[in-house]
Amino acid sequence: MTVARRVVALIVAFALVLGLVGCASQEQTSEQTTAEPIKIGAILSLTGTYAALGASEKNALDLEVKRINDSGGIDGRPIEVIIEDDATDEAKAVAAASKLIEQDRVAAILGATGTGQSMAIRGDVQRAGIPQISMAGGTVVTSEFAPLVFQTPWSNTIVVPFVLEAVKSAGISKIAVLSDTGGYGKDGLAVIEAEAPKAGLEIVGNETFNAGDTDLSAQLTRIKGTDAGAVLLWTAGKEAATAVKSARDLGIEVPFFGGSGQAKLEFAEGAGEASNGFTFGTGRSLIPANWGEDTENYSVVSDFAERYRSAYGEDPDIFAGHAFDALAIVTDALKRAGTDADAAALRDAIEQTRGLVGFGGNFTFSATDHNGLTAEDLALYRFEDGTWVSAQ
Amino acid sequence: MSDLLQFVIAGLKSGSIYALVALGFTIVYASTGAINFAQGEFYMLGGMLGVWFTSLGLPMPVAALLAVAGAAVIGAAFEMLAVKPISDGDPLRIIMVTIGGSVVLRQLALHLFGPDELPLDPFTAGPSFKAFGAAVERQTLWVWGATVVAVSVLALVYRRTTFGKAMRATSIRRDAARLVGIDASGMVTASFALAAAFGALAGLVVAPLTQTAFDVGAGIGVKGFAAAILGGLGNPVAAVGGGLILGLLESLTAGYLDPLYKDAVALVVLLAVLFVRPQGLLGGARRDKV
Repeated sequence: MTVARRVVALIVAFALVLGLVGCASQEQTSEQTTAEPIKIGAILSLTGTYAALGASEKNALDLEVKRINDSGGIDGRPIEVIIEDDATDEAKAVAAASKLIEQDRVAAILGATGTGQSMAIRGDVQRAGIPQISMAGGTVVTSEFAPLVFQTPWSNTIVVPFVLEAVKSAGISKIAVLSDTGGYGKDGLAVIEAEAPKAGLEIVGNETFNAGDTDLSAQLTRIKGTDAGAVLLWTAGKEAATAVKSARDLGIEVPFFGGSGQAKLEFAEGAGEASNGFTFGTGRSLIPANWGEDTENYSVVSDFAERYRSAYGEDPDIFAGHAFDALAIVTDALKRAGTDADAAALRDAIEQTRGLVGFGGNFTFSATDHNGLTAEDLALYRFEDGTWVSAQ
Repeated sequence: MSDLLQFVIAGLKSGSIYALVALGFTIVYASTGAINFAQGEFYMLGGMLGVWFTSLGLPMPVAALLAVAGAAVIGAAFEMLAVKPISDGDPLRIIMVTIGGSVVLRQLALHLFGPDELPLDPFTAGPSFKAFGAAVERQTLWVWGATVVAVSVLALVYRRTTFGKAMRATSIRRDAARLVGIDASGMVTASFALAAAFGALAGLVVAPLTQTAFDVGAGIGVKGFAAAILGGLGNPVAAVGGGLILGLLESLTAGYLDPLYKDAVALVVLLAVLFVRPQGLLGGARRDKV
């Protein structure tokens, strides 16, 4: 080949390469419309004694994720909630946390469903430095303060005194306590023992049971032998239904009181007639009208309830609400901090949440308060004919 | 004193359940020399099938019968699919297979019935009976009745029918039984079906009291096994006795010591028996493999 031909060949080759590169980059920009999803992890108890709670939480998360993504996601980026089952077991919760952090590289963790599990994953969460929004009601979740950990339910610190007030107003002075040995029950028992004297109540019976216990007759027989005017049941597990049923069968006639743990229809289904008259304290949003129909709380809660009902055919319980709140807190923080925010910035944004209207009430976090709710967000209910009615 | 009576009643109630489950262990042990660790899952199936059949609208007696019969069929199928293919009948291999089988049954139940507790209506509605300061739930009477009937039927079958004698013959000397024309492998299938039926009956009659769920089998399996060991493996009377004694021990421990130790009682009993008297309370000479 002559020099001239070589030069021409070189120029043509160069032009071709430039052209191809140009094409490639054009393809890239046209593919930019599918944005990378924001990954959030969720550790729920889909099996085990808290299975009913986890199922509601999953329903709420699925519903909300779909709604958010259908309306464009956050700043154009879809969110992806990766759900892991901890089987109401602390070891499994830790394994789930490791997987979400190391394999899925999630930006935040919603969970766990239960207090014991929420505390168990704290080590992994702190090592990874990502925020954790727990859906468990144990006081320890925020009283053993950790900058990364937040809580959406009404904690035992506010629910216990509220329920004790109700017991006192019913004219009762002596109570027997029946609680489970898991995180939530143990935590609740500690708060009850501290608050009962302040409310003017005497604890004359104090029995505990393990998760999974199907025969509570020993504990109930011992309670029957006391002169308690009411039984305070503090558990979130399925044993509650057996407890009230056995109690009635054994001839215990005094009223039963409880907390958020029984705010689910499965309790009435399992206990049948024995659940009638069971009085419990939990958030106002269980019956949205409690807020007053012209409030923002009412519209947020009833809108969620309507969508939940049309998707699943039943009213949402408080556990669905806790999951709704957890996701709302994270997405609200992401909007403020930007979807590219790193873990520390996201955590700061969450802590700066002010007056966020959710199912639980009005969330306002601070550097010392990671629970965000007060007794103003609670109401008293009673089970009648398989569902709850207001008991104010 | 009324407290003691209440604890005894509770103990006899759970004791009857353990007796039925222990019977299942003993029947299979007698015919194969192996422990069927899926026995707890048959207990679970009894409750689950009962809930399912009643949810289809069937009246309780029909649903109950179908639940027990269905569990027996599943037990026989389990034996034919999982145990019979083990040609040398080595007990250790059978044990491995039943452990695996129990996991399969549990996961199937989880997928078919979900993770939640499922309630079952009591067989007869009404308040519990009060006597001498203690209360007896109506369903507890059904538990006792079912146990008495099941044990009597088993005793009758074993002593009076050819089938029962054939089962006993197979458990004493399998090859000798085959020599006299007994279908030994058929007897093994029958023993699994019978064990499943007893376990399911236990799960069914207690479900109205405790609700049932896919994972209740493991705990009951351990306790029934402990009861069978306590009485002495291979002897049906011993299984029933072991079950009742274990139930009473549990209930009295829960009542007078601490309810949290209740579940530990079965394990402590199991260890104690294995250390002190491995053949159980009523067990005679050990089986020697020559």
